[in-house]
Amino acid sequence: MNTLGIQLGTAIDKKDGQYQVAVQVVDPAEVASKSKGGSKRVPVTMYHATAPTIFEAYRKLTTTSPRKIYASHIRVLVLGESLARDGIAKVLDLLWRDTELRTDFYIMVANGTEAKNVLKILTPLEDIPATKLYKSLDTSSKAWAVTNPFTMDQLIEQLVSEGRNPVLTGIRIIGDQEKGEKQSNVESIDPATQLKFSKLAVFREDRLIGWLNEEESKGYNYIMGNVKSTVGHVSCPDGGYLDLEGIYFDTEVKGNVKNGEPVIEVKMKTLGNIADVECDINVEDVKTIEWLEDEEEKKLTMLMRKSVEVVQKKFKVDAFGFGEAIYRSNPKAWKKLKPDWEERFSRLKVNISVDARIQGTGTVTNSILGDVRE
Amino acid sequence: MSTNAVNSDTDVHLLPCLDDNIAMIQSALGGSPDLIVKGFKWGDQWRAALLFIDGMVDATQMHEMIVEPLLSLRKDDVPFEPSPGIDALHALKDHVLSAANVSVVDQPALLFNSMFSGDAVLLLDGSASALRIDVFGIEERPVGEPITQSVIRGPMEAFTENYRKNVVLIRRRIKDPNLWIESRLIGKVTKTQVGIMYLRNVADDKIVQEVRQRLDRIDIDGILESGYIEELIQDRTITPFPTLNNSERPDAVAAALLEGRVAIVVDGTPFVLTVPGLFVHFFQSVEDYYQRADIGTLLRVIRFISFFIAMLAPSFYIAVSTFHQEMLPTGLLINLAAQREGVPFPAFIEALLMEVTYEILREAGVRMPRTVGQAVSIVGTLVIGQAAVDAGIVSAAMVIIVSITAIASYVIPTANMSITVRMIRFVLMGLSASFGMYGMLIGIIGMVVHLCTLRSFGVPYMLPFGPFVMSDQKDTLFRLPWSRMIMRPSLMNHENPRRQRKKPAASKGE
Repeated sequence: MNTLGIQLGTAIDKKDGQYQVAVQVVDPAEVASKSKGGSKRVPVTMYHATAPTIFEAYRKLTTTSPRKIYASHIRVLVLGESLARDGIAKVLDLLWRDTELRTDFYIMVANGTEAKNVLKILTPLEDIPATKLYKSLDTSSKAWAVTNPFTMDQLIEQLVSEGRNPVLTGIRIIGDQEKGEKQSNVESIDPATQLKFSKLAVFREDRLIGWLNEEESKGYNYIMGNVKSTVGHVSCPDGGYLDLEGIYFDTEVKGNVKNGEPVIEVKMKTLGNIADVECDINVEDVKTIEWLEDEEEKKLTMLMRKSVEVVQKKFKVDAFGFGEAIYRSNPKAWKKLKPDWEERFSRLKVNISVDARIQGTGTVTNSILGDVRE
Repeated sequence: MSTNAVNSDTDVHLLPCLDDNIAMIQSALGGSPDLIVKGFKWGDQWRAALLFIDGMVDATQMHEMIVEPLLSLRKDDVPFEPSPGIDALHALKDHVLSAANVSVVDQPALLFNSMFSGDAVLLLDGSASALRIDVFGIEERPVGEPITQSVIRGPMEAFTENYRKNVVLIRRRIKDPNLWIESRLIGKVTKTQVGIMYLRNVADDKIVQEVRQRLDRIDIDGILESGYIEELIQDRTITPFPTLNNSERPDAVAAALLEGRVAIVVDGTPFVLTVPGLFVHFFQSVEDYYQRADIGTLLRVIRFISFFIAMLAPSFYIAVSTFHQEMLPTGLLINLAAQREGVPFPAFIEALLMEVTYEILREAGVRMPRTVGQAVSIVGTLVIGQAAVDAGIVSAAMVIIVSITAIASYVIPTANMSITVRMIRFVLMGLSASFGMYGMLIGIIGMVVHLCTLRSFGVPYMLPFGPFVMSDQKDTLFRLPWSRMIMRPSLMNHENPRRQRKKPAASKGE
């Protein structure tokens, strides 16, 4: 066990036609619970090598690393943006084929920087940056709905299924790269440099073609049914906002072919609670609740429609798997539609309907705001 | 008390002359000073001698039952024809001696045997026979608490080294004429009394017959403990698994008898054997039945879990840490890797080091004089445990593994099964160190196959698991309430399988 370099994160970039593999290897003695505090080493270290193929680069790592790099426990794979634009399928083959790797690690795309740089940033709370990325992606996808945690097997599934294109989450470095690489980055309360998930990377087949912003990402995730819980605000009639916490989401995407024309029905059901009342409104009134439900429905519909439109107009690529939905409902029609699907997709009719219900108002009814003002 | 073991010198006979007989006996014993010969005259005229081994007889009893009646017998009171000879012996036995257990012996071999068992021997002048009179009185350890099989609730009586007391302790629990005892002397030199006990209408005749045959086949100079018998009559010698159960608890033996098993009581040891000894029997403790069924079941499940921990924990750790790191959650892997950082040995050597150290400590703990016990335990725990970790020779995780293994092996209620587990553990450790989990599984499969080939007195060892007997599952991994255990375990009783006559009427209104 102590002859292994436990690799938790991998970054792959493409440079001058060659692959650059950088691995983040954990230094167990520095991470383990009762570290004796003597040495002030960083908890992880990085080895990197460049070679024409990924496997060669991997093996080449041993020329710098004292231990064999052990890949079973890899948590995240960060792909460089340039690599992603070039195509990720070749990269995935090794990782998919090799017996040592599990398939439950998350895959993300470095946004605006090299993948290697992402794994160089030291992070507080979670000593190991790769673990921080993993957990952060996991938590944010559950509570905020703008990220899209894709594991290896899910990504492969998306790549090979018909009428569907993968979407990966982007990772950004916020702050100064150099400061982030120093131990001092984790010694201040508000670290100078942080890693942040933002935007979703849209792929055509295995090539990155563009990014969705936060709103669009949210819309995308609503349609894909990836949302478990999130928060969204509604503008009150008299100004101010009211937050609704969505606690249950169920989205159904159905494809149909009517008179040779494909139509997509997106039906969403959602349950929510009133989470935060920051305006003068009577939430004890059933009518208000009904009004809120209407507002929520409108807002969600708008979000999703915007997302669909952006993808349709800007990227012209079926990131939602609408093609797959049609294939499932009508395989024969799909065969005809398939050759020029991308073109059809960009003018595809998508009907979106939302059924929002508000379940509770939290532990209080009306806001204390009204009383405070009097 | 018939046996073939004492017939070795049948050519020697008692003579009708008292002095010759005494001389013969004395010379046979090499003039041992512990042979006491008391010569006297009874009925005012006839010569007689009382022979006994110093310290083996109860002096008061002997005086009241033999010496006093004989010496106070006046010539006129002699209730028979005063012709010394065999008839006088019978007459004395029937009319004069008040001792309960008296019989006539002809052969010197039997006579010696009686003397060495604590009988007094009465020789009459002119008689070629002798009377043996039971006045046994050796100072013996009283019935004490069980040391090796203690319980929280249940009888606190244990067998002693005395055959008779042991038989009584069982008899007291089963007051039934069907509790039959057959006794024989085994050991050409030690002439140890060995008793077979069984419930006649419950135990399988075939098993009883098998026990008889195997005991009669024994041809050895000495039996000093029931372990001798166990090894001589077990079905297969080359197996790490015990196929005879032993207990120092009379209640456990009584329970076994009620299930139709056969008990073998050996003089001189508090450990009584019960046969057949099946795999599940080694995980049953009497307390399972003294506590309520749910508690009993919990205890038993814990025991089976402990069995697997004691056997597999180190080999599993070795396999996972050397071959299958991917099986561990990432956090745990990093933690373990950090502990192993700087440990100079591979996991197998590390485990072996600690296991062997522990076995040495354990053996020392059993063998050492009580007075140095504390010193050893301090050295053991502090030096071996704490210091080894601090020095970085072994990892803390390994100490935890070895400790849980050691503790788990003591949960198994029978000591011999726990020793078995410890032996197998080392084999499995070697296999996992060489071939990982694959090797460990091969080892386990091999063990299971071996277990399934074993038999104990003709009964498959793994019964009721293999062959699977549904009705016997009630008292294996689980212990069902008594109300569900109507029948005895089916393996050994065909004649009288019912434990409870009828199903108890379902209690209503509760």
